Amino acid sequence: MSSFPPADQTSNTSFYSQSDTVNVSDILGNVDFGSAQIRELAGLGTGKLGEIEFVQVDDVPMTAGPIASRGVLDDLCYGTGTTYLAGLSFGGLWGLVEGTRGPNSNFKLRINTVLNSVTRRGPSIGNSCGILAMGYNGINGVITTIRGRHDAVNNIAAGALVGAIFKSTAGIRAMSVASVVCASAAAAWTYTFRHLQ
Amino acid sequence: MARYSDHTRDPCPWVILNDTGAAFAMGAIGSGIWHIVKGSKNSPRGERIIGAISSVKARSPVLGGNFAVWGGLFSTFDCALKGIRQKEDPWNVIASGFLTGGVLAARGGLAASARSAALGGLVLALFEGVSIAVARISTPSAPPMVH
Repeated sequence: MSSFPPADQTSNTSFYSQSDTVNVSDILGNVDFGSAQIRELAGLGTGKLGEIEFVQVDDVPMTAGPIASRGVLDDLCYGTGTTYLAGLSFGGLWGLVEGTRGPNSNFKLRINTVLNSVTRRGPSIGNSCGILAMGYNGINGVITTIRGRHDAVNNIAAGALVGAIFKSTAGIRAMSVASVVCASAAAAWTYTFRHLQ
Repeated sequence: MARYSDHTRDPCPWVILNDTGAAFAMGAIGSGIWHIVKGSKNSPRGERIIGAISSVKARSPVLGGNFAVWGGLFSTFDCALKGIRQKEDPWNVIASGFLTGGVLAARGGLAASARSAALGGLVLALFEGVSIAVARISTPSAPPMVH
């Protein structure tokens, strides 16, 4: 506490001689609570180069950017949730368009057709999108952990792998097509993400 | 589920996406493990691997989707209740479970809806109770004041 500057002696004596009432503001007004003193009180050193600059509230740092992320598991949850909901909405819209185009003249029949096609298309596309996103983020997390770095190669490799796995029962040709499509989608996403940041 | 004033959870509208994804992953992975076992058990010898894969492919996305809808709707209700009540307490979570259960069974009629709502509320109340009990056990008691 050496740099905690005491109020100098002369002002202190005159201070007491003037009046007997001492306020908090009187005391605090005589003490310099600069950042250097606060740092020393908190045991953070004197703020010179090489010492701790600041303390983060969280142990887990967030990455900066429009899409914040705390790590692999967070990416997985956000990616899966967003993609699932996007697929569900897209499938729902598709089903809506498909249902309203039918030749039904009866109102009740038409409503039924629309409901059927919406609830058929929406969940199926949503589920597929969710599985793809979950696989992509999961594989990406594993690759990132193994390689110890996060770059475009990881994303494209994860996309290629997840496409191949997704179509693994449909034959080699479908597997390669899905793999290429997913890898390109991952590359496009990586490029877009970099430009968003 | 009840991590109040937790820095690892995001503010309200965004946490819905996170919860939806987490629920989807839980459902899909859990169902995947279940159907690997079930599919291979129910297939004839020699086709066990193919049987397991096709069973997982057919079932696990569907359960993942069901979980995602449950989790997303639950989180939406939770956020709405937080916004309306300006409070974060176990009652939000229990009420969200009740409402989610009720809404998702609404097509089955009033009785089915009420049953599902009661079940949802009960399950979330159990979760809340357990998490409060765990928090109380695992938190060390405050040190005595020294004068």
